[in-house]
Amino acid sequence: MAWSGWFVLLVALGILPIVLFDDPTWLFLWLILVTVVGIVDLLLAGSPRRLAFERRLPDRVRLGETVSSELLVTNAGRRRVRGIVRDGWQPSAGARPTRARIDVPVGERRAMTTSLTPFRRGERRAAEVTVRSFGPLGLLARQASIAVPGAIRVLPPFNSRKHLPSRLARLRELDGRTSVMIRGQGTEFDSLREYVRGDDVRSIDWRATARRNDLVVRTWRPERDRRVVILIDSGRTSAARIANEPRIDTAFEASLLLAALATRAGDRVDVVIYDRRVRARVQGAVGADLLSRMVNAMAPVEPELIEVDWSRVPSLVRSVTSRHALVVLLTSIDSAGGSRGLLGMLPQLTRKHTVVVSSVTDPSVLEASRERGDRDAVYRAASAERAILDTARVSAAIRQLGADVVTGTPSDLPPALADRYIALKAAGRL
Amino acid sequence: MTAEPVTPTIRAATRRSLFWVIAIAFAVIVALITLIARGAASGGTPFSATNPAPAGSKAIAEVLKQQGVSVTVPSTFRAAESGLRTANPSTLFLVDPDGHLTEARLRSLARLATHIVVLSPTFTQLKVLAPQVAAAGVVKKASLPSGCELRAATNARTVTGTGTGYRLMVPGTDATACFGSGKSVYSLIDVRFGNRSVTVLGTTDALSNEHVSERGNAALALTLLGDSDRLVWYLPTIDDSVSGARSIAQLTPGWVGSVAALLILVAIAAAFWRGRRLGPLVVENLPVVVRASETMEGRARLYQKGGARLHALDSLRIGAIARLGSICGLPRLATVDEVIAAVAAVTGRDASAIRGLLVDAAPGTDRELVRLSDALLDLEKAAARGIRPTQSQPT
Repeated sequence: MAWSGWFVLLVALGILPIVLFDDPTWLFLWLILVTVVGIVDLLLAGSPRRLAFERRLPDRVRLGETVSSELLVTNAGRRRVRGIVRDGWQPSAGARPTRARIDVPVGERRAMTTSLTPFRRGERRAAEVTVRSFGPLGLLARQASIAVPGAIRVLPPFNSRKHLPSRLARLRELDGRTSVMIRGQGTEFDSLREYVRGDDVRSIDWRATARRNDLVVRTWRPERDRRVVILIDSGRTSAARIANEPRIDTAFEASLLLAALATRAGDRVDVVIYDRRVRARVQGAVGADLLSRMVNAMAPVEPELIEVDWSRVPSLVRSVTSRHALVVLLTSIDSAGGSRGLLGMLPQLTRKHTVVVSSVTDPSVLEASRERGDRDAVYRAASAERAILDTARVSAAIRQLGADVVTGTPSDLPPALADRYIALKAAGRL
Repeated sequence: MTAEPVTPTIRAATRRSLFWVIAIAFAVIVALITLIARGAASGGTPFSATNPAPAGSKAIAEVLKQQGVSVTVPSTFRAAESGLRTANPSTLFLVDPDGHLTEARLRSLARLATHIVVLSPTFTQLKVLAPQVAAAGVVKKASLPSGCELRAATNARTVTGTGTGYRLMVPGTDATACFGSGKSVYSLIDVRFGNRSVTVLGTTDALSNEHVSERGNAALALTLLGDSDRLVWYLPTIDDSVSGARSIAQLTPGWVGSVAALLILVAIAAAFWRGRRLGPLVVENLPVVVRASETMEGRARLYQKGGARLHALDSLRIGAIARLGSICGLPRLATVDEVIAAVAAVTGRDASAIRGLLVDAAPGTDRELVRLSDALLDLEKAAARGIRPTQSQPT
């Protein structure tokens, strides 16, 4: 039960007869009147329990985008339902407006439209719909919450896709270079074709020429069908925020850009999100399917406050592919102590694969190391220098173990990782 | 879509809360019964003839009644006056520590009663009833000997002394002082005015139900109060105080109370109107916000708190040396001496001064640390200027 401001006003109006007639019994008479009117109004209100609900909303939305969710209210009761409906979404679903006035006659259906602008990745849920149904006088209302579950999956935004066209152009350049048939590391045999003037005479295939009685040259193209394994660390260090973005979100951005690039280049991409157990895994997908499966797998993953078990990573990679692969580890390399597990495991990986360790650096640390205004700032600068030094030492140790290191600020890391991939591909190290 | 109401129906809610409703009702009933059974056991009006609590004096009143004394307990001043008027001789027992009675009313009582026993009188009461007696402070003696010829005192021999003491200001008048506690302070002073008498009594504990059976308390009380057949036991209340102005209740119109009650109900209704929420909150697990730079900040504060100036400066130096090395185009593994030599060549500064800045100087105070760190930055800028003179303009 609930009541409106009109009901309060009605109770307050009792002052008039009490003052006019100057008789305390009017207080009781008025209260009885108000109670009777209220009960009649309440009895005449339509039952919220007799409403049927249906949700119409898209399955997924990219973070930062807005979708509209529709709630259809059907009145299956015997009385008109007039009042307020509240659609109960989780706060970070960004629902607006959350409540609406409705007026549903018997047997009819009305829609309530809510626009959702989620501001957090993952599964956003709606739990209950609450209906406050007022009587014909608008004084008292029947109120009930009805479970109408709904969910929308909020995908990572993939803001770094703006870097994709330029990197694809670089890939094509790589292709273009091989059309002049440069043979060597990073290329593989493509096809035989007739010699045209200007082709490198060194690529004439004499055996085919002999068979065809015509000059035939071999053409080369960049290696294809290489394996790329992206391993994203979802342990405790990934929960830390850099430039107001958790490390894991930057890792998602970087891996999405890398995967988009690699799948266009004809390589096979597998993604594993791991801390102590595999949190998500995308394997055997190609093309557009790969990206949609990746964002779907990444959407509900939040960092766990546990240490990553690096010792199981080599066997995990082996379970993905037994061939030589480019293994990209998206983690953090802040301190020597925290990276001990990673450093201990790396030799097993580098023996067989090309390994790139990628980590987000904090732009505020670099800034702090340059700021020397007063005493506080100098101490902060010293501490920042120490942090930079720690990262540099871990990076050096990783390079010594035969792996590659890519670091960058949250905005720089995705393109930096893509560039490193292109460089490795050009060098034929995949 | 299956829509399942989450809110319980009235019937279900009643069934669920039935146990608690019954339990609370039971507890309230038990509490009420015990309250009624014990009565107003605690407190009550002190020295009231109808109060059986420890602070009351019902015991004395009951014993006096059994002894044939007619005890009336008037609730108003008029009743007290008529009670005194109907009998002669009569005794008035007056307890008015809050001074509700005016001087005129006290005087009128003094005219009517043959014997007044006034317990712990105020200044006004003393002035009207026994002008030659003055209050002399608190008496805290466990036991007081009688020490006088008054019948009540000799009957009692000793009494519980806790209460107020009084002093006889005009000696030689027709007055008897008993139960002295030294320095001519007495707990009972009996003053005679012809055939009438006023007894100023200070031993308050002696009359309470709690202490009346101790020592000679009962004897004192019974002799004092039972000296005539009629006893008026009068405890004035606030209603007996006469004031010229009319009370608030007389001034306000009759509907004010009803309107106030209605306004309270309106306030409750408004609170429910605004406070009733539209359905439960939808819960959500929110992530903890941990900024990555917090470790850096924490370490900076540790340096500062611990006064690790050399340590902090060394961190700055290591970074500066690495940057200077790369500015001068030296390999990453270049030694400090090579860096110093290269920087000296580029900037044209004294090599030993640079060495002092980069290696030797130890800051003793924070001021020195700030100065050295500024010097490091300055050196880096100078080196950068020396290498790339075209870009020397600060951006």
